[in-house]
Amino acid sequence: MNTLAVTANVLRSYVSPFLTSTGNLFRKTALRYRYHADKVAAGPLLRRYGYKEKILQGGTLPRITSGRKLPMPDYRPRNVWSSKRALFGQNDYIDILGNPDLHPTRILYNLPSWIRGVRGNEYQVLLRKRKMCYEVLNRTRPSKWRELEKRIKYLYRFLNRKTKTGASRQ
Amino acid sequence: MLFSASFRRFMCPCNNVRKLCSTLSPKEVEVTLEAKSDAPIIPPRELQYPPLYQKPRQAWVENFNKLEEEKLAIVDLHPDIFGVHPRIDIIHRNVLWQIKYRFVSFAHTKTRAEVRGGGRKPWPQKGLGKARHGSIRSPLWKGGGRAHGPRSPTTHFFMLPYYLRVLGLTTTLSVKLAQDDIHIVDSLDIPTDDPKYIEDLVESRNWGPAVLIVDESDLMPKNITLATDAIPHINLMPPYGLNVYSMLKHDTLVLTLAAVNAIEEKLLLSLHRNDGIHTNKKYRVDHV
Repeated sequence: MNTLAVTANVLRSYVSPFLTSTGNLFRKTALRYRYHADKVAAGPLLRRYGYKEKILQGGTLPRITSGRKLPMPDYRPRNVWSSKRALFGQNDYIDILGNPDLHPTRILYNLPSWIRGVRGNEYQVLLRKRKMCYEVLNRTRPSKWRELEKRIKYLYRFLNRKTKTGASRQ
Repeated sequence: MLFSASFRRFMCPCNNVRKLCSTLSPKEVEVTLEAKSDAPIIPPRELQYPPLYQKPRQAWVENFNKLEEEKLAIVDLHPDIFGVHPRIDIIHRNVLWQIKYRFVSFAHTKTRAEVRGGGRKPWPQKGLGKARHGSIRSPLWKGGGRAHGPRSPTTHFFMLPYYLRVLGLTTTLSVKLAQDDIHIVDSLDIPTDDPKYIEDLVESRNWGPAVLIVDESDLMPKNITLATDAIPHINLMPPYGLNVYSMLKHDTLVLTLAAVNAIEEKLLLSLHRNDGIHTNKKYRVDHV
């Protein structure tokens, strides 16, 4: 391998194609720098010469100028002072500040009557619904009633045969 | 957001009163109080269950019938209601309770039994080289039911203990007073039913954009009802409607003297009652 000094800091070594073991017939030049700073200043090695990157790397996004808006809803800020939101929570302390016999669950008029003050799993809630909504559902909503009964039967079997009960207190 | 606006500073109201009085000499104070002959005479308040070991908190009584601010009297406020230690965690629990206890989720998904169709086995078990299936509405299929999805209605109801709610009210009132966000007013009679009057009044007195006005009963004078009807962020409330969430949502709380009496009476009764055993019982639905 013969080394010729082209400049003081850049060294080029010519590799004879006839003497390499790879059998490459083209000339190869390996560029080496004396100082790392010069290598950095020269920039990254150009690879894939001639390849044109088609991905957007920077700048503003392309816009379609046909005039149609993007399929995204317009932002409408919520009205924080609508009457429902402005008076939220009113009468929650009515048993303390008003009539002590009136429980706050009794004035939740926006909910169905059978669900006020109820807490439980789906099975317990459905049993209560069946008990309290029989007259309305059985006659006027036969499909819904059928689905309710089916769901109760399924949940009875699932909860009693496929799941364990909660840990005992002993 | 609800909390960051309210708890910027904590100052004792007595400091304000002392600072105000210290700028006037005793003679000046007497002169200013005697000069207004048309102002209503407000007798000093007697506190129920007088506090033994704490000094009462004090607040000005202001006028509401004129744009110019007139300070009519200083009244005592019970420290067990308006001078409680600022327990922010108690206020937080009360606010969360108010939001959650009434919330019912109506999100609902159909199970494989409820989705239309799917009763027949789509293809024979063996021989086709396809995966084995029993129904086209099983959770594995597109368009099939959801195995463990939300089931409507799902309630999140729970009750805070009675005395925790009482403490929430007293703590919030104390915090409001300490941060100069409570203004006591002699009455709610205003000269016009123009919303602009209320807006100018609130603006000139720096009462904060949102004002909650509490009177003794749920029937209020006509003028103020018409005026505040047009302004969504200025709301009227009866004393039994007072709650922690509303007190934090509105920047300023304006109480009439009668409302202060009503609220104090109810809260002191809650704190001093001796038959509160039933208040600590577990809530049972259909037993109220």
